[in-house]
Amino acid sequence: MNNRLRVLRAEQGWSQADLAAHLGVSRQTINALETGKYDPSLPLAFKISRLFGSPIEVIFQPDADDLMLESAAGRDS
Amino acid sequence: MNKMEKVVRQYLVQFSLAMAAYMVVLFGSIFIIQANPESPWRVPLAVAPVIPVLFALFAFIQFLRGTDELQRQIHFEAIAFAAGATGILTFTYGFLENVGFPHLSPIFVMPLMIALWGIGAAFTSRRYA
Repeated sequence: MNNRLRVLRAEQGWSQADLAAHLGVSRQTINALETGKYDPSLPLAFKISRLFGSPIEVIFQPDADDLMLESAAGRDS
Repeated sequence: MNKMEKVVRQYLVQFSLAMAAYMVVLFGSIFIIQANPESPWRVPLAVAPVIPVLFALFAFIQFLRGTDELQRQIHFEAIAFAAGATGILTFTYGFLENVGFPHLSPIFVMPLMIALWGIGAAFTSRRYA
């Protein structure tokens, strides 16, 4: 999932380690979040939102795959 | 020291103590059993080294509970891989024993599982790097 974490972090002048400490997670998690290799759980997403004072959907932008729902046509008729 | 560093440090301390206790109890039990081979206590003495191992397991569970969600994900995937791979490898070796391979003690199963967990964790970790 795309996100603005790196930008928001840079605006605060924080290192990945600083952000990790603020959120109570490891630096590896911050890096995985920023590179889009890992999506946060809902509680962590809310922590991030609260930390940066920005709504979750402003920070995280789902791509087409993330938004895909099962089509009604695929179900038993 | 931040939260993650505290969790890791606590795990290392607890695990090291458990391993030290394991060595002491292991050598103690071997020594006493060899000196008293007919002792009625030889069964509880023989399994006594497992108790420190239970503490090591407890330390690991504490670590999983305290660590962050990505670490938990990594370790769960690694342990699932280790369980499956251990099952398959030991099962395969069982067939090999039927065609003349030397019989191996079950005591090797746990070190095998732990080694596969370590390898699994290294590979899973790289996926998120």
